[in-house]
Amino acid sequence: MANQAPILEKLDAALSELLADWNIYTTLFAGIIAAYAIYSVVSNKDPDVHPFLLARQSTASPIRQTGESATYRSLETPYGFPLRQGLNVKDPGAPKWTAGRRGDLRDIWKTAVRGALNEDGTTSGKQGKIYTVLGKNAVEHSLPQVTQEINVIGRHLQKAEVKTVAVCLTDSIELLAAIFAGSFYGFKIVLIPHNLPAETLSSYLQNAKVDALIAEAGSMDLALVTKTNKQVSVVIWVAKYGNRHMDWHEVPKDVKGTLRVAVWHELAEEGRDLAGFDVPDYDPTTPAPAVNTVWPSGSKAGDFIDFKQENLVAAISALGSALPRNQRFTSSDLVLSIDSLSRSYPLCQIFNAMYSNASIALNSVAGENVDFALATQGVSPTVIIASSRTMSEYHDSVMKPHTGLISSLGRWVQARTLDAGNMPSQNFFGRLAQVGPTAELSLEKLRLLCISHRVDADASVRLTSEQLTDLRIYMGARIVYALTGPGIAGAIAQTNVFDYRDLSGPSHFGSPLSSTEITLTGVSENQASEEIPEGQISVAGPAVVDGKTTLSVRGRIGTDNTLELSA
Amino acid sequence: MAAAEGSTPQAEVMSIASPINLILLSLFVVLLYWNFRPKQPVTLPRGPPPVVFRTYTPKTLIEFNGEDGRPVFLAVRGRVFDVSPGRNFYGPGGPYENFAGRDASRGLAHQSFDEEMLTKDLSGPLDDLKDLDADQLENLQSWEERFSEKYLVVGKLVAEGDPEAPKS
Repeated sequence: MANQAPILEKLDAALSELLADWNIYTTLFAGIIAAYAIYSVVSNKDPDVHPFLLARQSTASPIRQTGESATYRSLETPYGFPLRQGLNVKDPGAPKWTAGRRGDLRDIWKTAVRGALNEDGTTSGKQGKIYTVLGKNAVEHSLPQVTQEINVIGRHLQKAEVKTVAVCLTDSIELLAAIFAGSFYGFKIVLIPHNLPAETLSSYLQNAKVDALIAEAGSMDLALVTKTNKQVSVVIWVAKYGNRHMDWHEVPKDVKGTLRVAVWHELAEEGRDLAGFDVPDYDPTTPAPAVNTVWPSGSKAGDFIDFKQENLVAAISALGSALPRNQRFTSSDLVLSIDSLSRSYPLCQIFNAMYSNASIALNSVAGENVDFALATQGVSPTVIIASSRTMSEYHDSVMKPHTGLISSLGRWVQARTLDAGNMPSQNFFGRLAQVGPTAELSLEKLRLLCISHRVDADASVRLTSEQLTDLRIYMGARIVYALTGPGIAGAIAQTNVFDYRDLSGPSHFGSPLSSTEITLTGVSENQASEEIPEGQISVAGPAVVDGKTTLSVRGRIGTDNTLELSA
Repeated sequence: MAAAEGSTPQAEVMSIASPINLILLSLFVVLLYWNFRPKQPVTLPRGPPPVVFRTYTPKTLIEFNGEDGRPVFLAVRGRVFDVSPGRNFYGPGGPYENFAGRDASRGLAHQSFDEEMLTKDLSGPLDDLKDLDADQLENLQSWEERFSEKYLVVGKLVAEGDPEAPKS
């Protein structure tokens, strides 16, 4: 007791000595600390998504086969529940409690034309728009006008009694119209990438037994193509605005009697009065014909993927529901695709946008490898669909070299916000970070980037977690990063839009979509069971052609139950 | 510190490097670090490893009768269900204990838990259930559906000597 008093006294003396030094700087420091403490309490936000949802992003089946991993599924459709089959279309007259139809592409166009719904389910009459971007200009198309073209082209091809129509166009309104015409008027559409050499194109046409062709006027030598493709009976040229005055009706000599050549805009002009602006009536119980795409493969010319409408609608619906409710496409969105519509991910995302009554923008230069800055001129999109190659090259060639000291500082601050699980808002540091890397872009409204990676694409264009963080900060947009594979509509797996974790190395691909399930096969049984399973990726589900496919690449399921590619 | 202050008398009045300032400064640095320190993403413990789907014969299945804490399996029309969660019914001492580790198809079809419903000869062929009438088949069907809803199929049952049977 006697001992304690001096200690207290000493403490008191030390404290008063300490406080005796209080001066203007001390007040300043104390003020800063108080302000900072208040600021961090006030600005403290809950993360965008509960961290546990990112820590285990898919569900594993409780049972597995020998030599295989468990089957992994999206959290939306866990083991024991049916995978997402389709759009769940509810017809107006149907009783309320019945399950919806799976639907097909016709329902997508019908929904797009119907326009957005109000909250009470009545139509607001607000339709999305379709823009085609030509350089710096965007041309607007109204949906009724496109419906008319669908009707004209559909009837023209129906009258010619063709079964399979090849569409070899750059991304354009005609490409979309042709796909929907196929669904409404009952012919199969084969989407062939444009700018192919004539021999490759001829062999594609032969393989697919195409009897009609829609292509860009002047883009190919018809004589060469028809020489080996006598079965082609109708050709429709799509003439660009500048070329419309020319006569495109010339028919090569040796097919003069059997081939009929027409021009798209002339057909549309002639058929205008007859066709009408109404969406054609259809019986939803009759199946709509398939849509084929070509999957580029390294050695050979490419494989045809025969997407049934069921595959497409399952994928479209799953892509829609993979986004959380407040991130989904809405009628106020403008979705720009700078990846070719002949690839299934951009195609399904664009259909998803149309089904959500969003406006869409198509770019004629779209492809797997485009200049991001050039391709996004002309419109101010809220959502951009791009390939991993495009984004990776833009990041490496433009963003990285233009990141100076100031940008790095801004990036560092913003990255802390991302680490905490929040999307940084456009504040001072945000602008600081973007000052160099995205100076040439004008993407003020951008909120979401949908990036797809082809499973057999070059490993060097796989985006790393760090690159994704860069893109998030410099573009001020959230990102979903999807893995696509041959024979799978839409995507195999896609990252969670709120997953901002900056893990090391190449980014994972999130969880399977709700229309697919992933099993790894060829897994070594010697592996300890708590290790991360690694094997060949096998995908099954309604979005997969013929229900099931095994890819040639190996993958892993990480500790957070996300899919990664090995090596 | 004292020496430094002594040599510059003015600094003693307005010293920025006084102990209290240093304390406040370090407090600020700690606060900053606390806010900006690198955070490890949350990880959840891994779930139990998945059960491997196996092929059983009557002889290997009989091991799984729930005795000594082993799981309880029973087979219905060639599918082996893990009914361990229903141990009170299907395990030792339960009303259905005869079915544990056995092919229960005939018993379920007949709604009978008697010993004679089981195939006696474990090395013989599986019960082909050919003599069941429509009612009994329907009975069996509803049991099977109930099992599929509640329990996990962990394997399939084949007769001893079947080409699919695992070599022991």
